[in-house]
Amino acid sequence: MEAGGPAGGDGPMIRNKYILFAFRIIVGGLFIYAGILKIADPLGFAQDIKNYRLLPQTLCLFTAFILPWLEVLTGACLITGLFKKTSALLISGMLMFFIILVAITMIRGIDVECGCFGTFSRKADWGLIAEDLVMLVMALTVALTRPRKPAL
Amino acid sequence: MIFDKKFFREAAVLAGLSVVIGLLVNIPLIKRCMRGDLDQGFVSAKTYPGVVLVSLPEVEDLYARGAGIFLDARPESEFREGWIPGATHVPFETADKTSLRELAARFPADKFLVVYCSGGDCLSSLGLARLLVDLGVKEVRVFLGGWAEWKQAGLPVETGR
Repeated sequence: MEAGGPAGGDGPMIRNKYILFAFRIIVGGLFIYAGILKIADPLGFAQDIKNYRLLPQTLCLFTAFILPWLEVLTGACLITGLFKKTSALLISGMLMFFIILVAITMIRGIDVECGCFGTFSRKADWGLIAEDLVMLVMALTVALTRPRKPAL
Repeated sequence: MIFDKKFFREAAVLAGLSVVIGLLVNIPLIKRCMRGDLDQGFVSAKTYPGVVLVSLPEVEDLYARGAGIFLDARPESEFREGWIPGATHVPFETADKTSLRELAARFPADKFLVVYCSGGDCLSSLGLARLLVDLGVKEVRVFLGGWAEWKQAGLPVETGR
């Protein structure tokens, strides 16, 4: 079979590339947005974390200081392509953590604002888990897609 | 392999940067935390202007003057043991916005709204206060000492409703 034929070879790859880029923009953009909103109001976010009733007071505060910056940095990396795979993996990790956290909180019967987007937050519920799952699929796709071998 | 050396090196860079930046930009808050300002709660006048933290003497005064409307945010099991006389039971865990909005519409404007929970490290009073402020209630007083402090002070309690 001929490799790199104009019709069969390039077409899907180009499309795939654009889809991957769109995934990076969407997930990265959302992470930057979410991070900036939390950076603007660290105490509000600390309280949101505390409402989940998993961490002690001081740890909530330090999580609220650091996590938003990790979101912004990984989001920016995902979009720019610097540390692309690593940031996609870190974002996937964070999303998995958020999903488990929300699920546990719902099972415990605690009714909280999710704290995801600062004051624009919503209740932590199944819809939120679904949204996180969609982002997780996008992030994992970026993380796990092998780079195309350079054409010989 | 996805989790190779390159991943750990880059992840360490990103995590390290987040820690450094996150701590540096929040130095004023870290100082406040070390002074013990943030031991009770993070909701400050700045972040939630409508939430006012009050202590026992003020709550006692409001109670004595009949000027307070008390909302008990504790779960059913704890509420049943006793409550501040006249308090309305609004368990935070099951509070939803629709019923809260209806409740808020019934608050007389000339009275002070006081929310409390078990006291100590309980959060539901703060959570409920924030919900109420989000729903448009102008001012909510949070009695952080809560049920524990009220009972310990030997103030009147109501039971067996």
